[in-house]
Amino acid sequence: MHDAAISIRGLEKYYGDFHALKNINLEVPDKQTLVICGPSGSGKSTLIRCMNGLESYRLGTLNVLGLPVGDDTKVMDQVRKRVGMVFQSFNLFPHLTILENCVLPQVRALGRDRTAATLEAMDQLKKMHVEIHAEKYPDQLSGGQQQRVALARALALKPEIMLFDEPTSALDPEMISEVLEVMQDLARADMTIVCVTHEMGFAKAVADRVILMAQGEIVEEGTPEQMFSNPQHQVTKDFMAVVNG
Amino acid sequence: MTIEALAPPPSATGPAAWLRKHFFATWYDTMFSLVFAVLIYLALKAFIGWAFVDAIWRVENKHLCTHDAGACWAVIESRGRLILFGLYPYEEQWRSTLACLAVIVTIALSCLPSFWSIRRLPILWVAGFTTFVLLMRGGFAGLELVTSEQWGGLSLTIFIFSGVFVIGMPLAVLFALARRSSLPVIAKSFGFFIDIVRSLPLLTLLFAAAVVVPLLVPDWLQGNKLMRVVIAFAIFFAAYQAEIIRAGLQSTSQGQEEAAVALGMPYWSLVIDILLPQAFRNTLPSTINQAVITFKETSIVTIIGFFEVMASGNAAIGTGEWGNQYVEVYVFLALIYFVFVFGLSRYGAWLETRMRLGHA
Repeated sequence: MHDAAISIRGLEKYYGDFHALKNINLEVPDKQTLVICGPSGSGKSTLIRCMNGLESYRLGTLNVLGLPVGDDTKVMDQVRKRVGMVFQSFNLFPHLTILENCVLPQVRALGRDRTAATLEAMDQLKKMHVEIHAEKYPDQLSGGQQQRVALARALALKPEIMLFDEPTSALDPEMISEVLEVMQDLARADMTIVCVTHEMGFAKAVADRVILMAQGEIVEEGTPEQMFSNPQHQVTKDFMAVVNG
Repeated sequence: MTIEALAPPPSATGPAAWLRKHFFATWYDTMFSLVFAVLIYLALKAFIGWAFVDAIWRVENKHLCTHDAGACWAVIESRGRLILFGLYPYEEQWRSTLACLAVIVTIALSCLPSFWSIRRLPILWVAGFTTFVLLMRGGFAGLELVTSEQWGGLSLTIFIFSGVFVIGMPLAVLFALARRSSLPVIAKSFGFFIDIVRSLPLLTLLFAAAVVVPLLVPDWLQGNKLMRVVIAFAIFFAAYQAEIIRAGLQSTSQGQEEAAVALGMPYWSLVIDILLPQAFRNTLPSTINQAVITFKETSIVTIIGFFEVMASGNAAIGTGEWGNQYVEVYVFLALIYFVFVFGLSRYGAWLETRMRLGHA
């Protein structure tokens, strides 16, 4: 058995000559909620996208649930079935209904039969309070509703880890809280969560640990209290000053 | 305090108001409206007079068909079967009619979104085309054998068109996906192949399929001439359609692919369930355009000796007897093309509305 849900050692990532991630070392224990923050261009999205293989890396090791993330498609199938992801721009399938958005991945990725998948999908949509929209199409929903559907779609696969890549950055301010609320429920229900976000309220409320990245490196890490009230690094101080307004 | 509602503005409805708004709003509107009304009236009067009032309908009255008379539709009565069936044996033409209907029904059913599944469409097409070939060819259960050299007229046109579409569309998808492949060898070679096919005239390809292939390929692989021509035509169609589909694939956002991958959906599902439906949706106008062009281009097979509907029409006026009635025959042919192509265009428009509403 593995100790950590996610275990990263000496990770290096380049885009051409650009050194995007520099010697990243990170352990995320089971059931922990980890928030990654930092100024834009700091590599936090790149890091979270490496965790389910949407981005490749050049050097280092990256294990998720004991599986080595890399080029082996069989292993990656396993990883992606067990790791869910929610994107900044929702990425719902626009030509499918809300319900079908949640049913199809279950049928295709897990081979679940349609009846079971539909029940599961409706269950998840209910938890996200969007079940009344099941027969609508994504562009008929608000951004907040779409993001909750995206969450339901990912959760319907019963993942063991959830990755959030700036889930509220594309939302109008009044819709941010409705998405954060369901994410907080998830964190309290002991899901392992890695979340890239600027929402420090979320971090304060449920994060077990916060890391701050800048220029492709992890600059500082600690509990939310440490990071907010007593940041050590100048970069962290500057960043906290900005996000706390 | 109550606010007194203003009376609604004077009603601008009714036919008179509508006419005034759309045709007689200003003095130059009025002028253009009147001029065009007169022109349309004259054109319609001339056409109706020619096509209906002064027309000669029956073959018995053929002697009345002079240069001054109206349309001589007697030519259609006399030669209609030649135009519709080409060289197909007279007594067996009911088979050609049924075969033609079978393909038309197949096309109509393929247009219904409820048939759009990876299982239903192939079954439908195989059934439709098998029916067509069995009926046209015969040679069993007492049906006289009619080889494809004798097929002709409208059923041949429709057969070639739908054959090209049904073979060409999956090929186009394959070409488009191969051209986007992450393996450079495959991507480059398919790109090169598409460019070559597009650089050649259709006529050259069809000639090669009809005449050159038999010289190069062993007998058992040759099939018959019609089959080779349909396949060559389909490859030509696929080269163009592949680029349309590729444009459609490129217009779907990167996020769609990432979402499907992150959800653990396999590659074939990503392509069939997510990317292709959106690609077709995004490129529907160009796809309908390509289908219309292909329908009209089928007449080019005349040159390699197939009597599709256009060639049959030419044959109908080729004899001295009806040599003067070419206008009537071409109007008739135009009407046939119009019915199919206009139907195709309206279908495209219907699909677009339906998709904009998000129901496909």
